[in-house]
Amino acid sequence: MAIQRVGIIGGGTMGRGIAQTVAAKGIDVYLVEISQKALDDAIRGIVQNIDAEIAKWGMTESDKRAIMARIHGTLQLEELRRQNVDLIIEAVPEELTAKKRVLGEIDSFCNRDILFITNTATLSITEIAADLKRKDRVIGMHFLNPVPKTALVEIVRGLSTSDKTFKETKNFAQEIGKTPVEVFEYPGYITARVIVPFLNEAMYVLMEGVASADDIDTAMRLGFNFGIGPLTLVDQIGLDELLLWMESLFRELGELKYRPCPLLRKLVRAGYLGKKVKKGIFEYDEHGQKIPGKSSVLIRH
Amino acid sequence: MKILVLNCGSSSVKYQLIDSDNEQTLAKGLVERIGMSGASLKQSRFDGDKLHYVGEILDHTMAIENVLAVLMSRNHGVIKDRKEIDAVGHRVVHGGEKFKESVLITREVMDTIKDCIDLAPLHNPHNIKGIQAAQRLLPDIPQVAVFDTAFHQNMPQHAYMYALPYSLYRKYSIRRYGFHGTSHHYVSHVAAEMMGKPYEKLRIITAHLGNGCSMAAIMNGHSIDTSMGFTPVEGLVMGTRSGDIDPAIILHVMGQEELTLAQANTLLNKHSGLWGISGISSDAREIIEEAENDNKRAQLALDVMTYRIKKYIGAYTAAMGGLDVLVFTAGIGENSPVVREMSCRGLELMGLKIDSVKNKEALGKKMQISTPDSKAKVFVIPTNEELVIARDTRDIVSASKN
Repeated sequence: MAIQRVGIIGGGTMGRGIAQTVAAKGIDVYLVEISQKALDDAIRGIVQNIDAEIAKWGMTESDKRAIMARIHGTLQLEELRRQNVDLIIEAVPEELTAKKRVLGEIDSFCNRDILFITNTATLSITEIAADLKRKDRVIGMHFLNPVPKTALVEIVRGLSTSDKTFKETKNFAQEIGKTPVEVFEYPGYITARVIVPFLNEAMYVLMEGVASADDIDTAMRLGFNFGIGPLTLVDQIGLDELLLWMESLFRELGELKYRPCPLLRKLVRAGYLGKKVKKGIFEYDEHGQKIPGKSSVLIRH
Repeated sequence: MKILVLNCGSSSVKYQLIDSDNEQTLAKGLVERIGMSGASLKQSRFDGDKLHYVGEILDHTMAIENVLAVLMSRNHGVIKDRKEIDAVGHRVVHGGEKFKESVLITREVMDTIKDCIDLAPLHNPHNIKGIQAAQRLLPDIPQVAVFDTAFHQNMPQHAYMYALPYSLYRKYSIRRYGFHGTSHHYVSHVAAEMMGKPYEKLRIITAHLGNGCSMAAIMNGHSIDTSMGFTPVEGLVMGTRSGDIDPAIILHVMGQEELTLAQANTLLNKHSGLWGISGISSDAREIIEEAENDNKRAQLALDVMTYRIKKYIGAYTAAMGGLDVLVFTAGIGENSPVVREMSCRGLELMGLKIDSVKNKEALGKKMQISTPDSKAKVFVIPTNEELVIARDTRDIVSASKN
């Protein structure tokens, strides 16, 4: 069955990206936020995102009109029931209690057999689903930022996720133009599990004064044909976010390879959170462009 | 014979029910926004009756189901039963190298059309959906595929090969295909009738100038060259497509601006052409109006577009060793005296002389616009792709019954 209407809860970075991606495929999106201001910010954010893409010739004004006409903002969760949505994607902040509360509320009033998709990078699907009536309908979709441009989505199966739920989610992922990979719940899935130690190691190389931030990025980019250097990627992900991932993996798995690099902790404490605050390992101008030769981290020998 | 002509796009179905005995269109219409909210069906009947319906239309099958219901409806219909439809003719964008003419759709034909998906990923999948839907709804009625590329399939090899590694031709069938075939075919035949000469003995250039623009050189009854190539981006300047450019430009810009493949593709297809140069509009009518108001970039867009057409007229005249008739057709070609005049300006030495009074009179109607002493004739001929599809369908179905 083709998906016609999708509910998205939370209009942060991920919620916006998912809403834009889904609406671009001709599917109606009902975007739920907690306040009018948050909703306005979310809608404005999507418009800015599309405008930036138009400036790069990647989209047209008519694409923008079509997408924005299909994104309907609302402050009420019940609106999702009234609109008879086929599936709900929860993209509220990465906190277990918040996610459980939102899905619990929907579970209590939605009587249709809809899909519950939770967008999470680190949390346990099994735990999120634990108190719900329809555990078999809960599944994780780990979208990567920026959602409209990243082809991959990790589909994460919890312990009670049914095959039917997985199949429908996989079809939906393909319908919105993403390449899905199937993951059986385990901390970090594939992407975070593999990238986190890599980024952490790059931070150690920097901290130990082995090479400059620019040279570390250049070496990995050109040496292995990566599209982006590890330290630039750290800035893009956000240093605080990376630290959260590391701590969660370290806690869950207890292995030293996930111990956060002290430099990462230090920069987060200093408020050097990355591109979003224009200052992380590198510094950025008001357009988000890296300022050449400017790194917040001085290396002294 | 009553023939349903279908042209299925990604979210639209255009249709006409044509009586091939007298070539009258009984009804024509358009289903839009299939699978989206606010899907609609608009139809106009031969007697002027109009219908506009908005409702839920989830896929191509439902769209065609709705079309059949409207065609059979008591108040707006033209037939009483779906059995009155004798055949269905489908427009299919890409026939690759396999289809040199229209064919009766069989299982093998469907497989071959599917093989061509890689060549036209934006069009063929929807054409296939339309065929499958029509087969479900009208199971015992013969269906015919008419290809945009077929008319150009007799081009000589030196006209369709690109000077790229030959292995690319072998591996991916990279070559010139050309499009708008049914239109070039239709207007060139009408031109031969107007000349009162056999089609096979004429050297014809046809200029299909619409949203997409292409030209064809037609000699001895065959298209021997055409301006669109492997994709519809090549050739003339169009509303939002670039037409011919130095291919290295796109590599250079991709590097400079760090563009992805998708962005580069949209740049060439949606942000270029009249729109790209002028920054005002992709619509030639607005560009002409702005140029008359002394807008420099609108004028420039118009100059670039018509200069390109003129170069192709010269090139195709050379390719055919002369020219007997030049035809303008489609939205701009049928309705824009300015574009026609600018495209032919300075070609008097080649034997092309436009009568400026007649040129201004020719708005959407079939007529000659060259002077009596012009060596080559210039015609304006409204195109009719649906009629070609209906005629091919009739011929193929009649032949298969005998």
